Amino acid sequence: MSGGLPRRIIKETQRLQAEPVPGIVAIPDDSNARYFHVDVAGPKESPYEGGVFKLELFLPEEYPMSAPKVRFMTKIYHPNIDKLGRICLDILKDKWSPALQIRTVLLSIQALLSAPNPDDPLANDVAEQWKVNEAQAIEIAKQWTKRYAPSQPMPS
Amino acid sequence: MGNCLKQPNADDISLLRGAENNQTDGTDSSLLGPPPPYQVSGPMYHPTPNISRPVAQLTEEEQVKIAKRIGLINQLPTGVFDGTRKAKECVICMGEFMVGDTVRYLPCMHTYHRECIDDWLMRAFTCPSCMEPVDAALLSTYNSL
Repeated sequence: MSGGLPRRIIKETQRLQAEPVPGIVAIPDDSNARYFHVDVAGPKESPYEGGVFKLELFLPEEYPMSAPKVRFMTKIYHPNIDKLGRICLDILKDKWSPALQIRTVLLSIQALLSAPNPDDPLANDVAEQWKVNEAQAIEIAKQWTKRYAPSQPMPS
Repeated sequence: MGNCLKQPNADDISLLRGAENNQTDGTDSSLLGPPPPYQVSGPMYHPTPNISRPVAQLTEEEQVKIAKRIGLINQLPTGVFDGTRKAKECVICMGEFMVGDTVRYLPCMHTYHRECIDDWLMRAFTCPSCMEPVDAALLSTYNSL
């Protein structure tokens, strides 16, 4: 691999800024163009509605031959996201394809918030709660959204 | 969905932290400083999509698999882009096809720069756009001849 930023990464970054995805903001870090600061708005009619979740996204050297590394920085109560913020999403693992982009990855993550899948858990205790008492799990997810993901970001 | 519980996935965290703190952990060498010496000699192979190893570190089984894969890839038709096809952009590099570019056609008729798609096919034998397994499509093409 040669040095310098691949044209694809430059193009994706430009397109993300020119045609932003509704509810998603992805800004490259000043000192590392492969590292993005991401804000994802909780989808409507999900327990995460009204919240804004911070994620970090990193494009590895092999990108787009291998998937971006993405992690939630904001605490979130979700059966497919563990307490370290790691996300269980097939396209980030074995279903990755170089036809996918930063944009489609973040949209998939937003969709995962709308459709938690407790049968394929990453956070076992959360998944268990989701299966045993879904209404209560949703209530906890709402409380966590209010507490940890206020739409006005807290000063850090 | 992949079964994430059974996969060691601590790498997600270390990579991201590594990127931020500028610590080397071997996999993102060019970004994080000079690569370790073993990465500079010879081409890298990908016995599975997320594993990169030089040829000397491959098992015999992996070498056979890679040799077969190269054989299959070479059976896929290639051509020179002449501007008459519908495809405008290679979705892998996001570069526009220019007249004279060498392209490869997959059985599903998706078209890519040869260099871009060959790199991917060495990792996973599926079409990036439609996820059609390339070998199954190849076999069915042969059977229908």
